[in-house]
Amino acid sequence: MTDVRSGQPPGDGAAGAARPSVPVARLDDPHLQPAARHPRRVEGIVALSFLVGIVCFGGFGGAYWLNAKPWIIGTFFGAGLLALGFGLAAWGKYLMARGPFVEERHHLAGSAAERDAMAAALVQRTGAVVKRRRVLGGLFAAGAGLFGIVALFPLLRSLGPLPGKIFDVTNWRRGSRLVDSNGRPVHVDTLEVGGIMTVFPEGWQNTDEGQAVDQTVLIRVSTLDTVTRPGRETWGPQGYLAYSKVCTHAGCPVGLYEQQLQLLVCPCHQSMFDVLDGAVPRFGPAPRPLPQLPLRVDRSGYLRAQRGYGQPVGPGFFERTTT
Amino acid sequence: MSTTFRPRTKREARAAMGRYGVVGKAVAEADDRFGLAKGGRVLLDKIFPDHWSFMLGEIALYSFVVLVATGIFLTLYFVPSTSQVIYHGVYKPLDGQRVSAAYASTVDLSFAVRFGLLMRQMHHWAADVFVGSIVVHMARVFFTGAFRKPRETNWVVGTTLLILAILNGFIGYSLPDDLVSGTGIRIGYSILLSIPIVGSYLATFLFGGNFPGNIIIPRFFIIHVLIIPLVILALIGVHLGLLVRQKHTQFPGKGRSERNVVGSPMFPNFAAKTTGFLFMIAGVLALMGALLQINPIWQFGQYEADKISYAVQPDWYMGWLDGALRVMPAWEWTGWGHTLPWEVFFPGVVFPGMVFTFVLAWPLFERWFTKDDGIHHLLDRPRDRPKRTAFGAAFFALLFVLFGASSTDVLANFFHVSLNATLWFFRIATFVVPVVVYAVTWLVCREMQTVPGIGRRKRAVVVERSVEGEYTAIPSEVRPGDEHVELEPVPVPVMIEPEPEPEPDRAGAPTGDRRGSRGVRRVLR
Amino acid sequence: MTRLLKNRFALPAALLVAVGIGGLLSFATGAGAQGGQANISSGGGVGAGNFNSGVALPPGVGSPNYLGGPKNSGGANSSIRVYAKVDGRRVLVAYGDKDIIYKAPPASFIAAGEALFAQNCASCHGAQAEGSAIAPNLVGVGPATVDFWVSTGRMPATTTNTVQAERKPPRLDATQALEVAAWVNSLSPAVPYVPYPNLKGANVADGADLFALNCAACHTITGLGNALAYGTFAPSLHVATAREVAEAIRTGPANMPRFTGNLNDAQVRDIVAYVTDYIQHPTNIGGAGLGGVGPVAEGFVALLVGVGGLALVSYWIGDRA
Repeated sequence: MTDVRSGQPPGDGAAGAARPSVPVARLDDPHLQPAARHPRRVEGIVALSFLVGIVCFGGFGGAYWLNAKPWIIGTFFGAGLLALGFGLAAWGKYLMARGPFVEERHHLAGSAAERDAMAAALVQRTGAVVKRRRVLGGLFAAGAGLFGIVALFPLLRSLGPLPGKIFDVTNWRRGSRLVDSNGRPVHVDTLEVGGIMTVFPEGWQNTDEGQAVDQTVLIRVSTLDTVTRPGRETWGPQGYLAYSKVCTHAGCPVGLYEQQLQLLVCPCHQSMFDVLDGAVPRFGPAPRPLPQLPLRVDRSGYLRAQRGYGQPVGPGFFERTTT
Repeated sequence: MSTTFRPRTKREARAAMGRYGVVGKAVAEADDRFGLAKGGRVLLDKIFPDHWSFMLGEIALYSFVVLVATGIFLTLYFVPSTSQVIYHGVYKPLDGQRVSAAYASTVDLSFAVRFGLLMRQMHHWAADVFVGSIVVHMARVFFTGAFRKPRETNWVVGTTLLILAILNGFIGYSLPDDLVSGTGIRIGYSILLSIPIVGSYLATFLFGGNFPGNIIIPRFFIIHVLIIPLVILALIGVHLGLLVRQKHTQFPGKGRSERNVVGSPMFPNFAAKTTGFLFMIAGVLALMGALLQINPIWQFGQYEADKISYAVQPDWYMGWLDGALRVMPAWEWTGWGHTLPWEVFFPGVVFPGMVFTFVLAWPLFERWFTKDDGIHHLLDRPRDRPKRTAFGAAFFALLFVLFGASSTDVLANFFHVSLNATLWFFRIATFVVPVVVYAVTWLVCREMQTVPGIGRRKRAVVVERSVEGEYTAIPSEVRPGDEHVELEPVPVPVMIEPEPEPEPDRAGAPTGDRRGSRGVRRVLR
Repeated sequence: MTRLLKNRFALPAALLVAVGIGGLLSFATGAGAQGGQANISSGGGVGAGNFNSGVALPPGVGSPNYLGGPKNSGGANSSIRVYAKVDGRRVLVAYGDKDIIYKAPPASFIAAGEALFAQNCASCHGAQAEGSAIAPNLVGVGPATVDFWVSTGRMPATTTNTVQAERKPPRLDATQALEVAAWVNSLSPAVPYVPYPNLKGANVADGADLFALNCAACHTITGLGNALAYGTFAPSLHVATAREVAEAIRTGPANMPRFTGNLNDAQVRDIVAYVTDYIQHPTNIGGAGLGGVGPVAEGFVALLVGVGGLALVSYWIGDRA
């Protein structure tokens, strides 16, 4: 132990009398030995996994060049990364100084005097300024506050239009003809009993609005005129019933019809609506019946709406008036 | 005055470099300019505790690295637009179909771009793992009390990161404009709409009108790739900065106290391990992306508002919200010309708001409850804090039950039971299971506290029966490996004794212990 | 309420006027910044002008292209009709078009079918298929219905206690199923006959589109099926044959709706082709399909394999003390 180049006597020589100001470790300090019991073996394993990584990356390059199947390219890629990482982690865990090492925690908090100094600066300096220039301070605060509020307007208001009445209306009008998604009008012969289809007001099929708002399920439950509720005596000519397809819960399309149970079920949250009873919800989280569209058969045998829904379709919202 | 300029010889140049060669020179140059030698050395010596559970957060961190890397690749191909195009490509069932540019570009990315599908699947798996590892990491922090003073701020930052990760996951999931994710956006719109007073305004502002509009995909895109990632990045910076400033917590143990940190130094041990871990995480995610298909949007088709698939679910981290929507009864208040749709507003807005507020404020709750204002760097064993542990377990149980409720239909189909009965089961379980879990966990913790020697490695016991029939239990001999022999921790040495110069006399035996010096050499390199 | 909200905007806006910034006034009037929106969807894109072709049909009366019941919808008024003389009467034995041919089981099957019905079906459905308290009347349901229930093994049922009969290995083979159908049909001949879809030339893209609109709501978009209300369920489509799929669409077994006039034979054929090709053999280019169950299965894999596996890795790298 000749020279440790630290300007201090070696630790063991001084025998505790003058410990070095900087810790100097001896070569044979157990803390510096590798953690592995058999470093040679671990070295081999690490080398092997690095080699595997190299081979995999080679394979990755080749597979990519040849445009191999995605899973082949990806397996080479992932296995290469995994092997490389495994080797590196094993190197760090087994072949480096085992420790443990310790580090003191320094106090985060300063002394009482330092805290006081900080607080004093904040209180006294701002106090001095504000007390003397109350008007200026107030005006600045008012200006900054107002800016803070009005700066939010463009962030919100410019994003989109005001809702207005868009949630209250659909494109179903008096006399709207029912058409399917290809625009073909629905004839009274189209469905047999137990049939279902999705219909739109003519001209609105294949539009965002038509699909999202106007979508309506047309169900044939009978060959006779069908009444689902009092006051809807003429709404179901020849057993055709039409309900809004937009769920009154969360707005999913209620496209699931069980013809024996006569239920419409929402595929999202399983609300169940009674088709023969005005689509009143029988189960699940939907709070309101699906609105029913009054139908009639025109002189050529096509189905038409008597009028619109007369109420908002779909999920609830604050401005929805009770019906 | 007669000095003449002559170029230095190589030997002189090397000598001028000093003892540490090029590195020494580089350090000197950098220190002159940035003064980083002192702080840099402190950083290299920084101690990281070695307990495995402290690495769970690294999974989240490195998943985020993978997310950014794969995400950048994806942005080069994805077209964030709902303008309609006709798909003509490899996948037959879409050929000639009218789809949105977003959907078409995602399908093309999957089928036609070499490496594209792998990047997409890696990105999606990484997102799932990102959120999952944040949750697991938070559970570790919660159950060991690592959130206590002075680390409450980092708890809040971490929780905010979780919220942002969930939000960005949902938004990213929605970008391809496929049938399954489109249904999720539809439900999201309804949730916005359900908020009293401002709901319809928020919904039309965000979507540019009624659902679906044509602006939500571009908006989601910029939120997903720029705004939220930037916030996440900044918060990760704060999170790690606070970690460095406050230093790591540690479990109690040999030589460990509130005043120190025991572990391995940043360089090279921790650096090697954590870099290796980064590669392994990327590797596992890449293997998942290569071998396990995720979100095959070509099978789902383009989203159109009148189409629906049964059994649509959001990604797992949104499942508890979907479950809450299902178990909520159909309560709606109407009156004075207004509607208050509790059936959506409560599970969609109030409940998650309560959950996250509760998580964010937990350190305050606990401090208020325990009146403990002290600074803690040593961690709790979960069994030593039975109430907190039981509370956390009950909380997870609640979320897990709701997650299960998000697949009532799938479970009913799988177990051949009535869908209606399944929903009622979950409605009841939502209230019963957390209470039961709380009680059981509390009892188990109390029980564990009374077991002597719990948590320590068991030593084998030899039971002998004497001739008289008397039994005696004798602890066996300590075998190597039975006891983890841990040294007393020491500070990181500033210097290590240099290797002895090779003896000029080759015949002479080397002075030092050969094995030891080789070990040191390995340590140094 | 709208008024109140407008007030919320109007109040700060009025303040702004006082400060002298008048430009923001406009936003309370609703003349917002949305002018350019309508253009977004029409801009760019491959073949953007194309997508409405074939949709804008003249809605005039007399257009043959209405959604009619009779024509091309599984009923007997199709382009191809084949008759045979049976007992001096002219009997329709097959109809359809190039997409689907519907055939009645041959008359020679009737005798064997009567015996099979008596053995296997009559105990519930009655000796003359007239039905009973526990089983429906089968007279006049058409051969496709009988063939579907028998050839998928749902009938004969082993128990009457289930809400809905499940598919199982059929007790009667394919020919026997047709024999039973032949006898039941002989009681009161009716359509639909047994469909034989011709999958050559099918357009799977149209099939996929129609599947998403009409079928996925119950059977899921990957065709796995799912639980429906009160113990009923939509079965998986992964084992159904082309003929069974066509039969189910046309006859609407159990709780399934019947699709008649709203789907023509070409459309049914397209759906059948999509189901038998792509639902039953999904294009899983991304690796293991994880059962096609979707995000819940994916979530479990992500948590178990991803987070769990990586937690094990950290358990290895880190200390356990």
